[in-house]
Amino acid sequence: MRVRYSYLEEQFKDFENIFKKIAEVVKSGDYTLGKAVREFEENFAALIGTRFAIGVNSGTDALFLSLKAIGIGSGDEVITTPNTFIATVGAIVASGARPVFVDITDEFVINSDLIEGAITPRTRAIMPVHYAGVPADMDKIMAIAHRHGLPVVEDSCQAISAAVNGKNAGTFGVAGAFSLHPLKNLNVWGDSGVIVTDSEAIRDRMILLRNHGLKIRDEVEIFGYNSRLDSIQAVVGNHLIKDIDWITETRIKWAHKFDKVLSELSEFITIPKRRPNKRYVHHLYMFMAKDRNHLLDFLIEKGIEAKVHYPIPLHLQRCSAHLGYKEGDFPVVEAQAKSIITLPVHQHLKEEEVNYMIEKIKEFYNV
Amino acid sequence: MKVSYLELPRQFKDEALWQEIKKVFESCQFILGPEVKEFETAFAKLCGTRFALGLNSGTDAIFLALKALGVGPGDEVITVPNSFVATTGAIVAVGTRPVFVDVGPDYNIDVTLIEAAITPKTKAIVPVHLTGNPADMFEIMTIAKKHSLYVVEDAAQSVMATINGRQVGSFGDAGCFSLHPLKNLNVGGDGGALTTDSEDLYRKVKLLRNHGLKNRDEIEFFGYNSRLDTIQAIIALHGLKRLREVTEKRIANAMLYDRELKGMEDFVILPPRKTDRRQVFHTYVIQVQDREKLISFLKKHGVETKVHYPIPIHLQRPCQKLGYKRGDFPVCEKQAEEILSLPMHQYLEKEQLDYVIDRIKKFYNRR
Repeated sequence: MRVRYSYLEEQFKDFENIFKKIAEVVKSGDYTLGKAVREFEENFAALIGTRFAIGVNSGTDALFLSLKAIGIGSGDEVITTPNTFIATVGAIVASGARPVFVDITDEFVINSDLIEGAITPRTRAIMPVHYAGVPADMDKIMAIAHRHGLPVVEDSCQAISAAVNGKNAGTFGVAGAFSLHPLKNLNVWGDSGVIVTDSEAIRDRMILLRNHGLKIRDEVEIFGYNSRLDSIQAVVGNHLIKDIDWITETRIKWAHKFDKVLSELSEFITIPKRRPNKRYVHHLYMFMAKDRNHLLDFLIEKGIEAKVHYPIPLHLQRCSAHLGYKEGDFPVVEAQAKSIITLPVHQHLKEEEVNYMIEKIKEFYNV
Repeated sequence: MKVSYLELPRQFKDEALWQEIKKVFESCQFILGPEVKEFETAFAKLCGTRFALGLNSGTDAIFLALKALGVGPGDEVITVPNSFVATTGAIVAVGTRPVFVDVGPDYNIDVTLIEAAITPKTKAIVPVHLTGNPADMFEIMTIAKKHSLYVVEDAAQSVMATINGRQVGSFGDAGCFSLHPLKNLNVGGDGGALTTDSEDLYRKVKLLRNHGLKNRDEIEFFGYNSRLDTIQAIIALHGLKRLREVTEKRIANAMLYDRELKGMEDFVILPPRKTDRRQVFHTYVIQVQDREKLISFLKKHGVETKVHYPIPIHLQRPCQKLGYKRGDFPVCEKQAEEILSLPMHQYLEKEQLDYVIDRIKKFYNRR
């Protein structure tokens, strides 16, 4: 049996239906920031529960533009974690600020107990990452941010519809950044992203920043960037956003099944803590495994596309050399990097594929 | 009769194009799929450069070229105040100060004024091939060489324009092209391309556009997310097959306008048509007397015109703090009051062109 990590071919079997809708955009000639984008922004804001949503070119740009919109720049520090996709830290560096890392918890998100120790007079923002669909401890983070007068920009790129105490990821901070990359729970046919915010000022600023700072066709208010959600991608987003509850619930269903069975293998496998007040949306299904590298090879050999997100924490990447971090600085993330493994958990998995994965893991550990 | 400024819906009503787009669903490689590479190879060949890279936009092409060349805070970059704001926006985005130089009667940088604008801080010149008309690249390259400056060509409006048969984008360290829906070679959203002969620059931009990722797990340096979507690459490849024909049609249309307008020198000034270069007429820009009245008259008669652009960049709000003021660039400022863009695209019919000319003549004859 083969269990694919990517399910896009399955997901887009009905691409002809989406084509019909794209044909309408094409007929109108409305390729840039048109009606489809506005509709998507309304749909997305309604889904997340914020006043505004702004479509941009990527999740990376959503993070970058959020930092720019709140005035982050050269000489500033932004607190985040070293276990994330590079884009989080890349966006901080692109804004001109210095990323300051804080170690993580047993559920892969920033350890809020360590944040205050990382705050300096130059700290200008906290950027928690809702990693793998796990919402960070937003209540604690917001309390710290409030105490120190720091804005919070949530990296929600992997966490659409994740929630803490029923409140959605992306709605806690001044802005929430989402990715619509093809591998995300809500995805489109290329690079795209969205920013959510309740702040009219941030919304207005973002609308300028994403479109060259143009107030109207001929007047430039501020210097900006080119980071627009394409109309045709907005059409794809509008089509799929109707399915997001099914997508999320299916992922949760498979994750629960994995959790239940794999927790019986506690000698070999550590499942991250699941807290009852959080909604995990399982962009990735990750756990810690004994003898990870052999397990990974074994699963791949058995046709299961398991992965590691990610084997090298960001503070140990070459790009971070100038930041002065070294091995040992973040023991939790470093230990996890050696033992984490990711299984396919998408909405197009079939029951027998999930069973097959469980069976093969058991086989590997001889149980 | 109606003469539209644009005919995008006609262009994309092409069944063959949609068949080609469908290919993407065979592999669902929406990000940096094989068609991106295919486009890059074809585009480099067209421009006569060793390398080309597909990017998110023409703006990003300029931004990434400057970044890769190490142009940054404290540096100055010479460019023109009459361009789409993206040129200056990209220069500001890398942290440098834009230094403007006035333009000549061809709306491009006046090469006799460049040397006076060079200071010890100058790192690069960004000439703009505005309207599809190549700037004086041989002279610019001589100046750049003499002062050891980089040259990044803003060729966003000028694919296939040449001087002595040599393509724009092949003179400087890098050429920056836009594939925006309104361009001669266009896609169904934002897209851009960078050309270069330098393997070093190529490698750097290739990393910069994809988060600095050397491979899936290793990051060489911090980068950005600025990739040409696979779907857009397919559309661009399709467009490349027709580009020669599109360009020739635009040139033929422009020649017809030229022929008829030449006799009206009391009211209409045509920019010089230098015999050593091929202008590709992204826009057909002339200077006219009594512009606002002519625009209304033409509009009343169904002819859509535009002004590219009524407010020079140095007079835009964000340039106030750069210290520029009215009177600094008299040629550009005067042109801004007189320039007019007539309908210019490959779908214009002879009777439409005749009609536009006829209406212009009527407008001036009545008086």
